[in-house]
Amino acid sequence: MRTELRGTPTSISLPNPNLLQNPQGSLPGALRGCLGSLDGACIEKLLLHCAGALESNDVTLAQQVMWVLNNVASPNGDPNQRLTSWFLRALIARASSLCPTAMPFAATGLARARPMTVTELAGYVDLTPWHRFGFSASNGVILKAVQDRPKVHVLDFGITHCMQWPTLIDALAKRPEGPPSLRITVPSARPPVPPSLNISIEEVGIRLAKFAKFRDVPFEFHVIKPNSAHSDDSIDTALRFRQELASGQLDPSSLGLRDDETLVVNCQSWLRYLPEESGGTTRDPSSRDGFLGFIHGLGPRIVTVTDEDSDLDSSSLTSRIMACFNYLWILFDALETFLPKEGPQKTEYEADIGQKIENIIGFEGDRRIERSESGARFMQRMRRARFQSIQFDEETVKEVKLLLDEHASGWGMKKEEDMLVLTWKGHSSVFTTAWVPDGFDE
Amino acid sequence: MPVELENSSVMTFSNSGSGEASVSSGQQQAPPPPPPPAKKKRNLPGMPDPDAEVIALSPKTLMATNRFVCEICNKGFQRDQNLQLHRRGHNLPWKLRQRTGKEARKRVYVCPEPSCVHHDPSRALGDLTGIKKHFCRKHGEKKWKCDKCSKKYAVQSDWKAHSKTCGTREYRCDCGTLFSRRDSFITHRAFCDALAEESAKSQTNNTAASAPAAPENQKAEDDGKAAAAPAPAPAPPAPEKSLPPAAMPGAGLSRQLGAPPEQQREPENPPAGMLQYMPPAPPPPPSSITIGSNNSSGTTSSSGGSSSGTSTSLFASLFASASATAAAQSTTFSDLIGAMSRTDRSLATEAPSLCLSTNGPASLFSQPPQERRPFLPPPPPPSPHMSATALLQKAAQMGAAATSSSSFLRGFGLATSTAGHPEGLNDGGFHWRPQQQQLEPEPTPILSAGLGLGLPYDTAAAAAAAAAGLPDLMMGPPPLFGPKPATLDFLGLGMGPVGGAATGGLSALITSIGGGGLDMGSGAAAAASAGRFGGGSSPGKAWEGAERKPNSPAIL
Repeated sequence: MRTELRGTPTSISLPNPNLLQNPQGSLPGALRGCLGSLDGACIEKLLLHCAGALESNDVTLAQQVMWVLNNVASPNGDPNQRLTSWFLRALIARASSLCPTAMPFAATGLARARPMTVTELAGYVDLTPWHRFGFSASNGVILKAVQDRPKVHVLDFGITHCMQWPTLIDALAKRPEGPPSLRITVPSARPPVPPSLNISIEEVGIRLAKFAKFRDVPFEFHVIKPNSAHSDDSIDTALRFRQELASGQLDPSSLGLRDDETLVVNCQSWLRYLPEESGGTTRDPSSRDGFLGFIHGLGPRIVTVTDEDSDLDSSSLTSRIMACFNYLWILFDALETFLPKEGPQKTEYEADIGQKIENIIGFEGDRRIERSESGARFMQRMRRARFQSIQFDEETVKEVKLLLDEHASGWGMKKEEDMLVLTWKGHSSVFTTAWVPDGFDE
Repeated sequence: MPVELENSSVMTFSNSGSGEASVSSGQQQAPPPPPPPAKKKRNLPGMPDPDAEVIALSPKTLMATNRFVCEICNKGFQRDQNLQLHRRGHNLPWKLRQRTGKEARKRVYVCPEPSCVHHDPSRALGDLTGIKKHFCRKHGEKKWKCDKCSKKYAVQSDWKAHSKTCGTREYRCDCGTLFSRRDSFITHRAFCDALAEESAKSQTNNTAASAPAAPENQKAEDDGKAAAAPAPAPAPPAPEKSLPPAAMPGAGLSRQLGAPPEQQREPENPPAGMLQYMPPAPPPPPSSITIGSNNSSGTTSSSGGSSSGTSTSLFASLFASASATAAAQSTTFSDLIGAMSRTDRSLATEAPSLCLSTNGPASLFSQPPQERRPFLPPPPPPSPHMSATALLQKAAQMGAAATSSSSFLRGFGLATSTAGHPEGLNDGGFHWRPQQQQLEPEPTPILSAGLGLGLPYDTAAAAAAAAAGLPDLMMGPPPLFGPKPATLDFLGLGMGPVGGAATGGLSALITSIGGGGLDMGSGAAAAASAGRFGGGSSPGKAWEGAERKPNSPAIL
């Protein structure tokens, strides 16, 4: 069983090819390989069997396996155990959706108990290099791309509430040719995922503006509002996100582009929330390819894309479980390495990951918004969308390496084609890339 | 040719002091150097004095710390001077180098590493310590490691210098938080209230519009730090916080500082974080966890009994009133989750409904007191107190039982179905466990190598549990369960198909095992992945053995 499913999600190698056809028949057989220890591999198998059981509506088997998992899982154990407890929870959420009886189990909106303050969020994104890796690399190439340009406009699509920009502002402030004037535009639509912040994005912008002023960088901040009022709270938050996005936020006219500006598009942990095209139309900018087409049409100077390097979007539940378990283990393990075991910080961070797990495993259709694709597949997609990758310059790579040196020694980095990939103990975790639209001459 | 280096092979070459540029050492082909300046000017590193003596020491010499050794007692010294002084102690003739004659002849050192820029005599370094350090740093092994942050250094003095600053924050925000990394500091600073205060001050002098009208509002925002006076740096006030500042690589401690004044923090702090993420419905009181006991009062769940276990029926049974008692109705998935996350608590205090034991002596699942222990490890981690083999076994039993009294709760061991279990036990499908009947309320798992699941997690608690007598189900008769054979072939690896009603999923599974082949591919593939998780030797992943959590290695 491999962690990363490169290429099409259907080409999964399973330990027991019969698994999918006959999940029941292979539970003990598959588990036979777990001689001697109840380790990650066994848990994975148990999870798979549970999934198989759910997929084939064999609830009895599902409940049995869940019962076993429940005894294995522990919110206080080692990373595998804790991860398992979140998986189990997600499976239950899924199972509960099989039952039409109204459930008190509100699986959606299982948010963290308390949204973070903005300074807490600043700390949160620096807990591991997970986010800062992309920030550093992207800011590095952006800096280079806007060299000598007097006006810069950044279109920021991401989920970290603009945590990326203080360091860019700082770097621009120190530019030998003097800082450009900087404008940052963000959509108001945001996927309903962690990290959650206790202030609005407008207020974040205000603070950024203050900081820019402090550094003497001329600055503007703009939030794209949805065209029509979406006050329908009964709409599922995931759906609302897509709706808002599609409702005209992604329209050149609503972006307020200016001719004399150098346009930079930054997508951090964003594309994975845009689903594939449904139907034949490629004009829907809230779909993944549609969005890329939209961006291409804006003629940006540079497009930076950072996302998770894993295929978590397979239509098969079993493959998703496998991929998810083997991928999110990385964060659990990394957090384990340097956070105190019982600290609330770790718990909260893990809960955020748990929310992701729940979404990937517990839901289907529109409600399943976490649909990461690996860097390799993504690069193909970008090329299809007529973008050309550009290399990260030496200076930026060095900066990123320095960043990693500051963190626990398990973090590393590798280069795959023009992609930089953050690794934990050798496992790929986050990829970051930089692109220019084809035919862009400058 | 002055040579004063004893035990090393030395290539020494030097210019003539007369001022002609010598070709031999590759010195700059410069015009005759100017007369030595009256004041010794400091040369740029790597740009030595043209009339300096260039010395190339071997790597061994450079790395060696004690190059000068006393011939009498073999004591080593880093400097010849010191050796000479020491020799006096042996009443040996000693001589101190005449410094005066050498003063005009500065020595510079080249790096022996050919690819190094300092290998070129025109880039030689000015002092011996310098070249030694350089060589160690650049070309030597990094033996010194900082405990706090795991950075490695080849030169001890570098390591020492780093240790002094490591963990001590170098960047300080006005709010008092310290950061060891600039980017964290910048990011924090951009959003910190302290900045808001500062710009508020300057705002009165400023007509620029970018600042907001009411920075005070933002100050008042629940940022913790603003609420508390800028706490002198990283005192982690939250009671549960045991994180020393140094342990946080570079991350600001704002989070922790923010903790105490948090009004929004949930008053309830469940043992695990999970309950924080419960749905708004208040988590059920612990008593509801023992719905097992509630339900055990004779409630055979309605419906759901069909063996096909339609999804609606089984799960519906969870929510429909499975019993007459209203208590059962409170059972929801949230309870379940609550139960799961309260496992450790519940184990210690109440009937461990999530464990194998439930109430009711006649129940298959209850255990004699002395056997409860392994299944009730004291908090914390209760964790796998049982091997997965055992668990599956149990699950199978419950599955069979479930067919007659299906209840999702029971499926989770939350209920005792006294009626159900003996049936399950005697069910044809379980005839291959005759020993069960001998033992009195012996639930457990007598388990088999066949299933391939052996030791539970190797967590501390499990280890404790194991020590407490948790059977090593793989390896022999569990002392716990008395003199019964442990290695019963659970799933019929060596046995033919089990007969009996293959009603539950696992029973069916068991049945099919007999006929179906067991795929050895799974073993091999499991090795590959087990190697990843189990600390086994997976060659491509060098981190595994060293740094994974110590699960018992998978034995294949």
